[in-house]
Amino acid sequence: MNGPFLLTMIWVVPFITALACLPIRTDDHRSIKVISLIGTLINLLLVIVLTFKFIGVSAANPVADGTASSMFHFTYKVGWFKMMNIEYNIGVDAISVLMMLLTAIVIFCGVLASWNVNKQAKEFFILLNVLVAGVYGVFVSIDLFTFFLFYEIAVLPMYLLIGLWGTGKKEYASMKLTLMLVAGSAFILAGILALYFESGLNSFDLQVLSQHHFSDAFQYWVFPLIFLGFGVLGAIFPFHTWSPDGHASAPTAVSMLHAGVLMKLGGYGCLRVAMYLLPEGAQMWMGFFLILVTINVLYGAFGAIRQTDLKYITAYSSVSHCGLVLFGFTALTFTGIKGGVLQMISHGLMTALFFCLIGMIYGRTHTRTVSEMGGLMKVMPFLSVAYVIVGLAGLGLPGLSGFVAEANVFVGAFANPNTINRVCTVLAVLSIVVTAVYVLRAVNGLVNGPIKEQFATLTDASLLEKIPVTILLICLFGMGILPGWIVELVNNAVHPIYNNLTR
Amino acid sequence: MTLLLPDILLVVLAALVMGYDLYKGKSDLVSTVPFTLSWLGLSGIFLLLLCLPYDQTVLYPGGYQVTGTALLFKQVFVLSALFAVLLSRPYFTPGGNKRGLLKYRSEFLFILLLCTFGMFTVVSSTDLLTLFIGMELATIPLYILSGFYKKDSLSVEASTKYIIMGSASTGLLLFGYSFFYGAADSLTFEALAQACTANPQEPLLRLGMLFTLAAIGFKLTLFPFHMWAPDVYDGAPSPVTAFISVSSKAVAIAFLLILVYGPLAPMHSSLQPIFLILAATTMTVGNLGALKQTRLRRFMAYSSIAQAGYIIMALLGDAGAARSSIIFYLFVYAAGNYAVFFIISIIGRNGEENRSGLQGLGKSNPMLAAILMLSAFSLAGIPPLAGFMGKFFLFASAAQKGYYFMVVFAALNSTISLYYYLLLVKEAYIIQPAGETAPIIMDGMQKASLFVLTAIMLLAGILPSFSSNVLAIAG
Repeated sequence: MNGPFLLTMIWVVPFITALACLPIRTDDHRSIKVISLIGTLINLLLVIVLTFKFIGVSAANPVADGTASSMFHFTYKVGWFKMMNIEYNIGVDAISVLMMLLTAIVIFCGVLASWNVNKQAKEFFILLNVLVAGVYGVFVSIDLFTFFLFYEIAVLPMYLLIGLWGTGKKEYASMKLTLMLVAGSAFILAGILALYFESGLNSFDLQVLSQHHFSDAFQYWVFPLIFLGFGVLGAIFPFHTWSPDGHASAPTAVSMLHAGVLMKLGGYGCLRVAMYLLPEGAQMWMGFFLILVTINVLYGAFGAIRQTDLKYITAYSSVSHCGLVLFGFTALTFTGIKGGVLQMISHGLMTALFFCLIGMIYGRTHTRTVSEMGGLMKVMPFLSVAYVIVGLAGLGLPGLSGFVAEANVFVGAFANPNTINRVCTVLAVLSIVVTAVYVLRAVNGLVNGPIKEQFATLTDASLLEKIPVTILLICLFGMGILPGWIVELVNNAVHPIYNNLTR
Repeated sequence: MTLLLPDILLVVLAALVMGYDLYKGKSDLVSTVPFTLSWLGLSGIFLLLLCLPYDQTVLYPGGYQVTGTALLFKQVFVLSALFAVLLSRPYFTPGGNKRGLLKYRSEFLFILLLCTFGMFTVVSSTDLLTLFIGMELATIPLYILSGFYKKDSLSVEASTKYIIMGSASTGLLLFGYSFFYGAADSLTFEALAQACTANPQEPLLRLGMLFTLAAIGFKLTLFPFHMWAPDVYDGAPSPVTAFISVSSKAVAIAFLLILVYGPLAPMHSSLQPIFLILAATTMTVGNLGALKQTRLRRFMAYSSIAQAGYIIMALLGDAGAARSSIIFYLFVYAAGNYAVFFIISIIGRNGEENRSGLQGLGKSNPMLAAILMLSAFSLAGIPPLAGFMGKFFLFASAAQKGYYFMVVFAALNSTISLYYYLLLVKEAYIIQPAGETAPIIMDGMQKASLFVLTAIMLLAGILPSFSSNVLAIAG
């Protein structure tokens, strides 16, 4: 299988899976789940094959000087819409490959974790697959139009997924999430059109556009447009408010996918489109955005302390940790950007596991309030231990993935000699301490202490539930203990972007 | 003569439909023969339109001209009339609609077809007089159609309001014409173009354009001439509402395209600020107005006001970009709008045509709910549906001239519109109905129509051939 075909298959398979679910009888939940599982498994295998192929290719062509032509591999393009010369133009670099790997793992675990969805299961899995197809599509696109198209496809199914299968304030949360994200994409749309017409190259191709030098005045106002547009999905302050409500209301698999992968689309877009195409704009605006994301990092952490609902705690910690992604980017140093990318992967795995575990615990205790639980270690040791480990990953314990990422982010941020960067870094580092507080408090309330009477008869995870948890745990440890190959891949991918920024 | 064939056949068809009733007299007041005749005839004309050559411009005696762009517009009109005919059939069948039974089906269809012929005339004209006559022929039948519930006070009110407002706008149009005549000394486009090229700053032309814009603004429901729309749309029978919201808008924008990129092209740059303001205010007013509507026809009225705002935005760009994007958008807008109106007519069979009538649709009829969701998303401009491509090209037409902030504004506006379109989806999927829901009954015709409309919405957004065709012909 050649590279471009593989890339196309990766986003087509979820669509096929969704279509395959259509003719199944509505009450035949089992078949629908099995089909979805097979679909995601095929996808996972395809992505793993892609990763190995990519490692081979990238070892053969190390990116030394970072000219744009050598940035993407497995490229392929064919004309699509004649109007405005829109192309189906695909290709990947290390960042997108790793993000696709993350997506494949998370959705595979997500399908396993939603085995107990029995309400309108058909619609649920169809929407879930459409959403995933959109996510893959974004990662393979290097044509800005296709990029945007897939981006929107990834955002919209969320409305029904949360509104129909969610819990709590689901109608409010789903509407708020959808509208805020679509408002963000309004900015992106205008930004993309501006790039297209201003360059006068009659192309949406990222590589072609990156060769064009946009005037400073143009970059000055387009950069914030695109950066903020994507930033909304990356939960940038003050546009993060959809995130806690949305994630807390969403069903388990959707929270996993959304916090784990979709929020990364925001950071990915900021890096890939805004910072890559508009480097001068990035230089001009970074001070401003640095302050915003520093608020993110701190506000999210302090917000998490105040919460009592497990999902809200995790959702606010997501705001804080996703802030770290953008914090790494806004440092504008090589290490910082690298750290941001690593943080995307690390946070994706971590949050997915968090939400997965919370879903399983909630399925047993029927409460998510920390104070109403306790002593769960006695009845569900597997889940409790897993929760402790992922909590430790969250606060950046060495040996787990969080440490690798956060260390790079903070070192990279401090490496920028501007006073404002240094001050912000010092402030942001404080968030680690705060993280420790809310993580350990939640862990303590959850697994330690005397067990409540009504929980004494609960059972530990079933075999089916242990699979996704184990996979994600292995990934967390794997990235923490053997980060070398990932870091090397990311190094290669960040070079061209960084060179562009400092040209 | 082949290029005139669709126009001739349309008139013949209208005559046949009326003739059937005259021939049968009172012995047949209920059979569906006129409907069958109409939709078969319209489908035939549509197929014929597809087969005609699009690269020729033929001027017939009397200043009747057929161009590729005109043929594309005729496709839109025929398609719209076809779906309006299919949509209206249940309303003439006993028990087909809760609001009441419509009578005089042959007259209804006759008027509808003649109205469509008027639209044909508009896009084929080469002088202001033909343009005016076509416009009147396209509008006056709508006054009659909107009052077709003769005993329903809302419907009569709609008709009355429409006549009064419509006549006022006709007056404005003629007043505008008098300035054009004063500047050009003639009513032909040729003379007008000469006058405009000679002096694009000519105040008489500007005044004329101002009044013309006001008159067309009425037909296109542009702010501040949109006030009549919600009442008329709400009062008129649903199929008529659908027809007004698609065809009447399409002909109005065709009228503007003909003038703005035809004889008045030299003054385009001075018109841009007006289009900018009209577009921005119209979409905002439409979107904000739609937020609180619960009656579906009224809701669709505001939604279509907002859509007119997006459409008018494309007039900021060059001729090619504006024409091709607008025509493509009219196709996808028509598909989305008619799909929603078919669903309205289906729930209207046993229930009220308002938003709560949609409740429980996701469970009782998942397919219909899915189509509702698709058409709502298409109207809101969500990929990969056709509405997204349509809006993208409209926005691109404005962005082409550097109006990037207008694009931001419009895109944010469509976020507002997404809210109320999502309310439809929410009503169908999320809200649980309080009591028993009325059973959903569809006949084969409705199913087939919905299937075709859904196919258009899905495919026009993915397959490039649709938009490429339009671009090749109109661009």
